[in-house]
Amino acid sequence: MSKNYTSYILPWVKTAPGMSIVISIVVTVAATIDAGPYLLVNMVVTGGMLALVATGLTLMLGVLNIPMFAHGEYFMIGSLIAYYIFTPISEFIFEHPESWLVTFGPFIAIIGALAGGAIAGAISEKLVFGPLRRRSTDNWVMNSFLLTVGLSVLLINLHQLIFGADFKGIVGYWQGMPISIADVYVSKDRVMAFIISAVIVALFYLFMTYTRTGMAIRAVSQDIIGAEIVGIDIEKIVLLTISLACALAGVAGGSLLFMYPSYPTVGLEPLYMAWFVVILSGLGNILGAVAGAFMVALLKVITMEYVGAGWDFVVPSALIMFILIFKPSGIFGSDVRGVLDK
Amino acid sequence: MLLEVKNLNAGYGYLQILRDVSLHIDKGEYVGIVGPNGAGKSTTMKTIAGLISPMSGTVIFNGEDITGLSASAVAKKGISFVSEEMNLFVNMTVQENLYMGAYTIKEKHLQKERLEFVFELFPRLAERRKQLAGTMSGGERKMLAIGRGMMSNPSLMLVDEPSFGLAPQLTTSVFASLEVLIKNGVTILLVEQNVTKTLAVTSRGYVLENGKIGLEGKSADLAEDSYVKKVFLGV
Amino acid sequence: MDTIKNELQMNSFDRVLDKLCLTPIGLAGLILLLILPFIPPFNQEYMLRWLIYCGFIAAMSVGFDFTAGFINIVNFGYMAVAGTGGYTSALLVINAGLSPWIAMVAGGVSSAILGLIIGMISLRLRGIFAACLSWFFGLAVMGLATKMVWLTRGPLGLRVPRLFETESNFPFYFLIIILVYLTYLVCKWVVRSKMGLAFQAIGQNMDAARTSGVDPVFYRVFNFTMSCAIAGVLGGFYAHFYGILTPDMMHTSKTVEVLAVAYIGGRGSLWGGAVIAFPFIFLMEIVRSTLSNLPGLNLVIYALVLILVMIYYPGGFSYFYDTHIRHPKNRVLRYLLNGRDA
Repeated sequence: MSKNYTSYILPWVKTAPGMSIVISIVVTVAATIDAGPYLLVNMVVTGGMLALVATGLTLMLGVLNIPMFAHGEYFMIGSLIAYYIFTPISEFIFEHPESWLVTFGPFIAIIGALAGGAIAGAISEKLVFGPLRRRSTDNWVMNSFLLTVGLSVLLINLHQLIFGADFKGIVGYWQGMPISIADVYVSKDRVMAFIISAVIVALFYLFMTYTRTGMAIRAVSQDIIGAEIVGIDIEKIVLLTISLACALAGVAGGSLLFMYPSYPTVGLEPLYMAWFVVILSGLGNILGAVAGAFMVALLKVITMEYVGAGWDFVVPSALIMFILIFKPSGIFGSDVRGVLDK
Repeated sequence: MLLEVKNLNAGYGYLQILRDVSLHIDKGEYVGIVGPNGAGKSTTMKTIAGLISPMSGTVIFNGEDITGLSASAVAKKGISFVSEEMNLFVNMTVQENLYMGAYTIKEKHLQKERLEFVFELFPRLAERRKQLAGTMSGGERKMLAIGRGMMSNPSLMLVDEPSFGLAPQLTTSVFASLEVLIKNGVTILLVEQNVTKTLAVTSRGYVLENGKIGLEGKSADLAEDSYVKKVFLGV
Repeated sequence: MDTIKNELQMNSFDRVLDKLCLTPIGLAGLILLLILPFIPPFNQEYMLRWLIYCGFIAAMSVGFDFTAGFINIVNFGYMAVAGTGGYTSALLVINAGLSPWIAMVAGGVSSAILGLIIGMISLRLRGIFAACLSWFFGLAVMGLATKMVWLTRGPLGLRVPRLFETESNFPFYFLIIILVYLTYLVCKWVVRSKMGLAFQAIGQNMDAARTSGVDPVFYRVFNFTMSCAIAGVLGGFYAHFYGILTPDMMHTSKTVEVLAVAYIGGRGSLWGGAVIAFPFIFLMEIVRSTLSNLPGLNLVIYALVLILVMIYYPGGFSYFYDTHIRHPKNRVLRYLLNGRDA
């Protein structure tokens, strides 16, 4: 029995995904012992947020072939909406400390961020991506990429124009004492942020794997003509995919408002990081993106701890470039040439 | 009449391929279109399936004008298209592929029924239901493509070049499976390069040349026609 | 007799024009740019500063288009490459006491080396992956410039001696116009040679190019190295013109500025970006300075133009020019627009 087990595990460890996952776990454990458990907590919270943003990015890339440069802006929209919903709620809580809103108010804000992201995504599809899709003749990947670059600049500066460039943040969502987990005190907000991202990623995975609509999305990503001839309405699926991807970014922005106050360029860091994840893990699957998210989060946290703040772009990007030299399709990417090789 | 195509003109961009193509199929018929490479056989199929929108002409299905509808709308009307390239979902399992074929059917139990039916037709697919479509052999993929086309319980199946790229032995088994479909009351429009075989199995046929219908008639008569013999069979 | 003589003279004039890669209207444009600072509204120093910035972006966009328009790879870290050249040049002047002119060339060499490295690493990657790699490279370089405070003084910025020891902007203006033209000329010469065909072959289909005997390794690396060398020299100019150099210069948003101009001007034309940069950037500067109570409005317009061009006219200005303006009925006009042999 146990022999069987090891004979299954060992070859896996030798593959690129296995090796990188094992190394990541070892490094996490070692760093946690060395520097303290807060490192683990930071990694888990950052990783959860990244998983949300990166799965959305993977979805856009895999299903629609859009290399989304504006994805961080939906993170920004989510945080902005959460801020404007939660500010009146927190004033209300301050006056009525016994109200049910103390527990559920933050959820309203976060769900608002989710919905806001989805609506913003749908609007961008209607106004921007749809027209491009109908008119585009060739070079779709590059054109849509440049389009998202424009969209990113547009949204950042609209934010600045309308809401100003100052930080719009909150002290915290849930009040009260930090929760103690194995002698480590973690603020409730961090715990909740992680739980929210874990639940959403899990739900999203189940949705993509088992539901009819989720399967239709995958079908479109694998063969668009095949999807059309079995009767899948491409326009609807595209609209749904964009809204979903943007909703994921929006909810990440909403649930992390306590860490990242809303300001015009707040989305750039999650965007860079999510791109690290997508390139590192390859365009394989959702699970790959999730694993990659935690790896990039680990890289970032370790760099901050041992090299210093501000180096958190240099070291991860250098390491990712190094990995790309040896594995151009990413760690979890299949050897099948992706649609992006145009 | 199940399907009626009248004076269809179609092509890619400015390149016109089909010129005034007219054809019709009755319920339960097994009709073949034969012709040389580049005659416009696949273009005809793609235009009926809604993948190419025609320049002019009409396509009437079940008494309803479906000209210019999108491919997914055509599929919802009950026409299923088995393309030459098969267009399978390579990273999905056989069973998932088949379930996607039943996308136009909303009820769970009907989907199950169709799945059972297809598995009965193609026991090989039942054996491999958990396998990824991309890892199967050419013949099995063809079978899967036809099975997926069957899943929506179509009233008309358009089958494009089922023998393309297959070994002769597999070709025979693919044709045999089409035969089974006909016995089950499905109407089939078949496009093939293999003229002998097509005219042997179908009941009626059209000869397409340079985007025009050259000849039409009973398959048996066509097979005996001196022109067809000279041009396609080399006799 | 006279007419023949005339034609002979015209021919030699045309031959010179052809060698200089100019059409009569192009020559006229160049002359207009050279006398522009003597025409009243433009002879004020602040307007001249704007025009110099236009020239800088114009030259950068030509270098950018040399890669993006021909081998179809967006060098998304282009400003970071330019910044590397700028920093090298500035540091050499400050620490080694070199003349700024020699230092600028050294900056070009350092950027070329960087380009060589990026070109080599990104060889196995295609399209958007190569773009991401150069982007990550840019982020890493910018991070280095920010964090190596002992060398670059970080975000505080480096005080750099100016090229000409005068307060006036005139000499800088003429220098940048010359640089714009030289960049264009060098790129055009390369593109006109056999190499240009190879570039285009690689840009359209790398595998097909390889099977038909074009070695993608050499041409891609050469292209990257050359366009980065151009960026390096221009970065040196930037440093020695503004007199202060901060890591902000390397920011992705600056690359976006160059990219937008290059694509609005028209990909693969080389001259499109250079032509469009002057009116476009100049107008943006006017919007920015007159509506300073609405910060970000110029970038909103910027982004909108980019989005609209991408959707409705992805070929950009040069495509518009080639299809609608280039071939008028009138023979004289046609000569002006095309030169003799076109």
